Amino acid sequence: MDRLAQKYLRARKIPGTACAGCGLGQVHKKALLAIEQLNLGLDDLVWGTGIGCAGRQTFNTWKGDNFAGTHGRVYALAAGLRLALPEEKKILLSAGDGDAFGIGLQHLLHCARRNLDLTVLVADNFGYQSTGGQYGYTTPLGAITDSSPYGAWEPNWLQNGLDILELLKAAGATFLARHSSLEGQSAVDSLKKAMENKGFSLVHMIYPCVSHFGATALGARSPEIVLRWFEDLFRPGAEGAAPRFKSGVYLDASGARPEFAAVLKARTRALADEAAKGGVPHGPRAGALEGALV
Amino acid sequence: MKTCFDTGNAAISAGAIMAGCRLFAAYPITPATEIAENMSRSLPLRGGYYVQAEDELAALYMCIGGSLGGLKAMTCTSGPGYVLYADPYGWAIGSEIPVVILNAQRVGPVSGISGAPGQGEFYLSRWPTHGGNFETIVLAPNSAQEAFSMTVLAFDLAERFRTPVTILADQLVTDGWEDFTLPENEEELQALGLRLNPRRVHPGPCFYPAGDEIDLPPVVLGRGTGGACSDWTPTEEGYDSEEIEVQMKHAHRLIHKILSHRSLIDRHEGYALEDDPAIVLVSYGSPSRVVLAAVREARAQGISAGCIRLQSLWPFQDELFRRKALYLTVELNAEGQLVREVERASRSRAHFIGQCGELPAAADLLRAIRRLAAGLAPEPEPWRREAW
Repeated sequence: MDRLAQKYLRARKIPGTACAGCGLGQVHKKALLAIEQLNLGLDDLVWGTGIGCAGRQTFNTWKGDNFAGTHGRVYALAAGLRLALPEEKKILLSAGDGDAFGIGLQHLLHCARRNLDLTVLVADNFGYQSTGGQYGYTTPLGAITDSSPYGAWEPNWLQNGLDILELLKAAGATFLARHSSLEGQSAVDSLKKAMENKGFSLVHMIYPCVSHFGATALGARSPEIVLRWFEDLFRPGAEGAAPRFKSGVYLDASGARPEFAAVLKARTRALADEAAKGGVPHGPRAGALEGALV
Repeated sequence: MKTCFDTGNAAISAGAIMAGCRLFAAYPITPATEIAENMSRSLPLRGGYYVQAEDELAALYMCIGGSLGGLKAMTCTSGPGYVLYADPYGWAIGSEIPVVILNAQRVGPVSGISGAPGQGEFYLSRWPTHGGNFETIVLAPNSAQEAFSMTVLAFDLAERFRTPVTILADQLVTDGWEDFTLPENEEELQALGLRLNPRRVHPGPCFYPAGDEIDLPPVVLGRGTGGACSDWTPTEEGYDSEEIEVQMKHAHRLIHKILSHRSLIDRHEGYALEDDPAIVLVSYGSPSRVVLAAVREARAQGISAGCIRLQSLWPFQDELFRRKALYLTVELNAEGQLVREVERASRSRAHFIGQCGELPAAADLLRAIRRLAAGLAPEPEPWRREAW
């Protein structure tokens, strides 16, 4: 991490505040590797963050420009920012599973519907870990957490036929991928594709929480045990059963749908040009606005 | 100058466009929808963006995000949407991002009646978000003309103070049709006492200096300044901090940048106050027009009465109520939200006429004034006397 950290991260924020054994650093590193491999400079990307472990710990780590949203709202903030920034500037959002798939889902889906040019990196630690370990929207069924002491039973976004990526696909996202933080270049490649897609991209990256999920749901604070359990999630089961999670690109429809900000800007430019030539009707009730100071 | 006959909504839209608004995001809601419609029609012709958001939270956040990228932005709503602004409102206060918010107040509680005026958000506009440790700037027009000028002013103040500015209007001001005058160029705008204030970009790295300075450019992202903006307590460079001293400096700046420069905000209109009248009526927004009629008539009848109309609501102008008088507030709510402030500022009991969903009749106000002049408390308003 040192080389990447020196190149891209603010010295004051390194080391971060993650617990020993936390996988978030690996998720963070993959984003930086993707940025490096795309030859992006500090001025090429604005980094936004959500709440929770994933958001708070990545906020203002980027040496360039940064912003953080409140719980679940960074997508709406980013939507406004997207309209103000030139098309070539990239916006990367790092947020957690509770932020993206729970409290912020409304805005996330509307960003997907608009195919807004954002890359959302959802760093998923299977629940609300920064508040001490409560179940969330990806917590495995049956898992013991601080708020599901008898086992998580509420339907989640990842089991029994539901998949949050399917929902995002139906909502209009144009690039979707799922990985484990334990993967290497394949996860970086997905992040690169996500950032290159001129549209709404989301990479769901699952990472192990040792302090809460490990300790409570798996009964072990040992990174080794947690990581082994974690690796198994992405491995075929006994007798060739499908793995719990299939890693890789879930959807690559880059360029398949027009991007919202680009369309809005083009339409606005065309209308403004026509208005400058005196050609655009104000509509049936122009009233006071007719001839207002341009 | 151009004379128009149109709604307050049209005046507000014209003001926003003249002030340089280039992003308008809103969620349709009566009685503020017409502003959004106007902006959807007029903004693109000036190169600005109109976005219909998925909810009011998103609407204000989109405006703030646009402002964060350098676009002057505005949203509009009514009570049911205004409460949803709580979260983004706080974000903009804390990270000091300029944005203009218009609330066309309607009668409540909750959704109430969409097409009837109310004044239930006087206190909500003071504390529109959680956490405390901040001041807000709130303006209150009572005509289409003033709705125009206060919109231009709100954009100016938002830039100067790096904060959201609320225009607390009401349904009669926004929906009402009347004559107003619009400037047609910048000189005419300045002749009205207004100014345009283009967006500047803070160069960093000291984005949030301790103190009470105003006219600091806000953080603008995407300009290579290393800017950082968040809902957390910021250090001067924008890092999130958990140090109490940093929090204290932050709160001090949010509060005193406003309180130390009140002369730029404070506004009121007084009528017949020169001879220190025995009775002073207090109001803002559309009821103030009935109040003025009643006070004029009272004066004609030889009663020592005057009135104060608040054009800026927050910070509250305590010094206006230092004169000894019998104060009577007239509001479009049942509980008397101005009453508490007037009582606190005047250190005396204030009387109150409160209407629920419609303007008071001038005759009812005059009757209340005459009773006060005779040493009697006003009778309960007609709607309260009904045995429903």
